[in-house]
Amino acid sequence: MASRVARIKKGGAPVGDTTGADAPGDPSIEGTGPDLLLSANGPQPQRDLPARAASNSLPDSDSTLLSLEHVRISYRLRRSVVEAVGDATFQMDRHERLMLIGPSGCGKSTLLKAVAGFIEPEGGTIRFDGRSDLTPGPDRAVVFQEFDQLFPWRTVIENVAYPLRVTGHERAEARQRAEFFLEMTGLAAAADRHPHELSGGMKQRVAIARALALEPAMLLMDEPFGSLDAITRVRLQGELKRIADRTRVAIFFVTHSILEALTLGDRIVVLGSPPSHVRTVVDVRELGGPTDPRYIEVQQHLHEQLGATDKDLSGVEL
Amino acid sequence: MSNSDATLANDKVSGADETGGDRRLWWRPPPTVRTPGSHHPLSWSKLPTLVRRLIVFAVLVAFWQMYMSVKHPNPLLFSGPAAAATAFVDGWRNGQIASATATTLEVLLIGMAIGLALGLVFTILATVSTVGKDFVMLMTAMLNPLPSIAILPLAIIWFGLNNNAMIFVIANAVAWPMAINMSTGFTTVNPTLLMAARNLGLRRWRMIKDVLLPAGLPFIMSGVKVSWAFGWRTVIAAELIFGTAGGSGGLGYYINTSQYFLKVPDVFAGLITIAIIGIAVEMLLNLFERRTVVRWGMQRA
Repeated sequence: MASRVARIKKGGAPVGDTTGADAPGDPSIEGTGPDLLLSANGPQPQRDLPARAASNSLPDSDSTLLSLEHVRISYRLRRSVVEAVGDATFQMDRHERLMLIGPSGCGKSTLLKAVAGFIEPEGGTIRFDGRSDLTPGPDRAVVFQEFDQLFPWRTVIENVAYPLRVTGHERAEARQRAEFFLEMTGLAAAADRHPHELSGGMKQRVAIARALALEPAMLLMDEPFGSLDAITRVRLQGELKRIADRTRVAIFFVTHSILEALTLGDRIVVLGSPPSHVRTVVDVRELGGPTDPRYIEVQQHLHEQLGATDKDLSGVEL
Repeated sequence: MSNSDATLANDKVSGADETGGDRRLWWRPPPTVRTPGSHHPLSWSKLPTLVRRLIVFAVLVAFWQMYMSVKHPNPLLFSGPAAAATAFVDGWRNGQIASATATTLEVLLIGMAIGLALGLVFTILATVSTVGKDFVMLMTAMLNPLPSIAILPLAIIWFGLNNNAMIFVIANAVAWPMAINMSTGFTTVNPTLLMAARNLGLRRWRMIKDVLLPAGLPFIMSGVKVSWAFGWRTVIAAELIFGTAGGSGGLGYYINTSQYFLKVPDVFAGLITIAIIGIAVEMLLNLFERRTVVRWGMQRA
């Protein structure tokens, strides 16, 4: 498979029409500048994306990677139908890190699964990279919350290299690439272990390495650190941030932690309680970091947005 | 394990003290469960498995011998361990048991191979298509509870008095329990792993070969064990009914003729042979499990 990591064409800095006019209360979408992929590894072919035909309904700019238009998803329980996502509309740029946050049951994981292609939304459109017929594929590599997403019968390096073989890489190249990404995630020394011999944090690291090795256009992360202890979680957040800075991979990250969202995100999309819609979008890039006085304000704001919408704030930790 | 993550804070030193050098450092055997008396240096549970099993075996043989010495049963009807052992050794020396075993095993292995392959094909059919699933479900529900030996009369009519009839019966005995276990294995694969596999781009055949089969291996192995037991019973029963087939008789035939000539120790020798083969196969399967599902952490030893 050709490398999915796309570069924005040099020269033409896409600005303007990405500001989602439809996204309520979304002042934040800005065009990213002419992006050079800070290529993490040598072997990947660097090429310009062919200009995509403009879609008929949405003025997708070249810099928009993912756009959701009035997406509605409900799922069927044994007797009742739960409307999880009422109306989700937002967009996401290439190389952007978008954090999706919301109270329990608001359908944020469901939304991620829809973007991944596991679920078909009942209404609205999800457009990824110009396509709207989404089936699961390695261009949107998913990291799940559960530790058992690895193949128990394959060693760590095989877990990373095997999907590369499936996507058409030569054996030697797959292995070399797997080694590179294991090195990046600090797992080189554990390459020949089996998953059950790893700690939870290491398993998640393998999953991240496996996803990154596929060089996806976007990494979908469904509370990947949700099952980890607090210390490991903070450490992995730092790791992910460093890796994301290096590879410039776009990240669609579902979390219920405000702090995690603030730490990792470029922008934070807040969903309300089900049937949920986008309550607010916060741009974190404008903030200076935890020392910035506005940081506390934003945190407070997010807290209110989440707390006001749902009685059980217990799902949200500060 | 908690400090395993600590080394990764800085990726320059990642894993250096964690896994570098002695690879066994990170792993410790699970603490032995303390049972009453296990702290005693000469406790039963501390003995090697083989020694423990041999002692149990010796005690059983001792009881057998005791019964012989105390009750003195009619030697035409019952045989002591010494006589049975002699008959066993003689039977193997003169080649009678060896050739009977070879005959039985040949039929059994061919039948099982066909049965296992059919079980696999049925399960895959049931996985990839709804019609296949309906077919396999119905067939399994109908044929699995049927004692497979009950179709021997039909098999004899269809195939004649030969090995093919037996192979047919054995394959039938093996295919259904295999299909049931294997499809249980397929359907219990954890959903996250399946989603991950689909996300990585695995489709039909690769999904079956590289995800469902290995993920379902614990169930497949128990299917193989059940099938083995069914197959063994069926082949011996068929031989007992059949007498000889194609000139040379199998173990069931050996037991039957020995009984006919009132050579009770030889009957015992045949039974012992069956038991030994059963133990050997069980050991082989366990070894395979230790190398696979146990090593992968999917099943405890």
